[in-house]
Amino acid sequence: MAGTGIIWLALLGPVIALLTHLSWSGITSALSAPGAFDPLILSAESGAVTLGVLLLLGTPLAWALARGTLPFPRVWEAGVLATLLLPPLVVGLLLIFMVGPFTPIGHLLSGLHLSATDTFLALVIAQVYESAPYYVLGAQAAFGSVDYRLEQQAALLGDPPLRVFRRVTVPLAAPGMAMAMAIAWARAMGAFGAVVIIAYHPTGLPLQVWTTLQETGLPSALPYALVLLVVALPLPIAAYVWSARARSRRRG
Amino acid sequence: MLEADVEVDRRDLTVRARLTVAPGERLALFGPSGAGKTTLLEVIAGLVAPRRARITLASRVLTSTGQSVTALPPWQRRVGLLRQDPGLFPHLSVRDNLLYARSRSSGRAGPHGSDGSSAPAVPAGSSASAGSSASAEAELAELAGLLGIDGLLSAMPARLSGGQAHRVALGRLLLSHCDALLLDEPYTGLDVSLRRTLTDLVVSLVTQRRIPAILVAHELAEAQAFADRLAVLDRGQVLQTGAPGEVVLRPAARRVAELVGYTAFVPVRESAPAAVAQSPTPGSGSGSAGVVAGIHPDRVISGRHPARGLVLAGVVGSCRPAGALWEVTIRTADATVTGRLLEAASAGQELVLTAVDPPCFAAGGAAVGARAVPAGEGRPAGGVRAAGGARPGRAGVQK
Repeated sequence: MAGTGIIWLALLGPVIALLTHLSWSGITSALSAPGAFDPLILSAESGAVTLGVLLLLGTPLAWALARGTLPFPRVWEAGVLATLLLPPLVVGLLLIFMVGPFTPIGHLLSGLHLSATDTFLALVIAQVYESAPYYVLGAQAAFGSVDYRLEQQAALLGDPPLRVFRRVTVPLAAPGMAMAMAIAWARAMGAFGAVVIIAYHPTGLPLQVWTTLQETGLPSALPYALVLLVVALPLPIAAYVWSARARSRRRG
Repeated sequence: MLEADVEVDRRDLTVRARLTVAPGERLALFGPSGAGKTTLLEVIAGLVAPRRARITLASRVLTSTGQSVTALPPWQRRVGLLRQDPGLFPHLSVRDNLLYARSRSSGRAGPHGSDGSSAPAVPAGSSASAGSSASAEAELAELAGLLGIDGLLSAMPARLSGGQAHRVALGRLLLSHCDALLLDEPYTGLDVSLRRTLTDLVVSLVTQRRIPAILVAHELAEAQAFADRLAVLDRGQVLQTGAPGEVVLRPAARRVAELVGYTAFVPVRESAPAAVAQSPTPGSGSGSAGVVAGIHPDRVISGRHPARGLVLAGVVGSCRPAGALWEVTIRTADATVTGRLLEAASAGQELVLTAVDPPCFAAGGAAVGARAVPAGEGRPAGGVRAAGGARPGRAGVQK
């Protein structure tokens, strides 16, 4: 009991340190500078787009992985895990070779007057790569927990597959999916390794923390760290509370 | 009318069956686990693809692998499936579960009416869907009363007992207006009286709605309580179809007899030319070789009653209580025979039993003649005798 308490406190240590080292005047002076909220807005916007992309592209993949409808499922899973296992910094470097200006994809994008380096798009791409495995694996587990016989029953009661998905699969997987999305959101908000390589500009929150630390030191970086926490955490907490309530409601 | 002619490959065997179930008729598929019973239901429901099949329901073709290939998806079949797990949607209340098939939020079509070819077209529009939802509400109220779940409509499925959940699942199928009811050992694990109540309920509802119903069971009594026709399935083959009582009294083959509870097979000597002619045993010169009489523990009476069947004499090996009866095992010269008797016996005691009207089987397993019956006075040649028994009783083989 005491041991687990110590471990728990140690894990929370960084948060405690942050809160004890912040001063109100430090926060107001850091955040009252012109444009101080730009990184926050940028991070929130790119995070929202990232979540949209994950929801759109990651959900079908997660569902197929959970239902085992893909040939060679282990290979597919390994592909998802690869982005999780590669260090984000390495992912960033490799993304340059994949979507950089002198690559086929880069040419294609420039034909559309887009660029995947140092743009909003680049930020989204980097965030997607850093957060996708968390969402896909979490959503896969959520779908996997839905009894396929309930889906069969819904089909036998007259629902075609898409309607089964909407009326049975998604509602039952929702608590787990919400948790997966919340974790993906937190990862996207905090994405740094890949971002620092391909999306140094425009500056999102993690980079703002980094550059402030480099330029003016620890005390002025701390308020941005707090802002980052404030943006990254509410969604996971809300998702946690909501899914706990959804589960208890199901218990009657 | 449900007609299914199915051939489906499983990993371990190929299941072949031809079934016809009339509206309001109840067929029980009885057999050991792994016989292919559930597979057959899943093919009919469209959940498993057959190698070859033709399935029609109420003159709609559900599956056809012939010249014109048809494979209606499950959601267009209007086949209700009830399994051991009632499969209620845990995120919906009892009411929403019951109305699941009736509450299409799209409101474009009536229940199951998306295939157009079969369902009567329901005109689009709010008035039509409002009318249908009102009728659904009325039907829900009536059915909930009938099933005894009217007090549970706002409850969540997790709060229900096993029996209540099954009632809701049954109500949900009936409210979906399915054209056939498939029951896959639905009441396994429920206590006996509840099982009986639910079975009676299904029987009356199936009869009232005149829909064909198939029950899969691996317990004979359950199959008999439900069905007016029984099909015995083993290793993917239908071995016999008949009235629930008939299959037990006149098993068509030794394997059927084993499945319906015959526990001992006693060699008998026969002298009937008819029986010999009907059961030629290859490589055997003697007509009597290998013919056995099947002994069912519940169809044994104590005492010597040669007019009623085959008399068996032996020494009691064991005796233990079995419900309200005593399960007595006696060792005859050829076999160990079990019978459930009214009176207890003590081990080592000499005991004479009569197996009432036992069916006889040739060496190949096929039933010999129609069945063994007591020899009439005027039919001296029609006898089957227990070979080597202490005092063989006489039983005729009637064609």
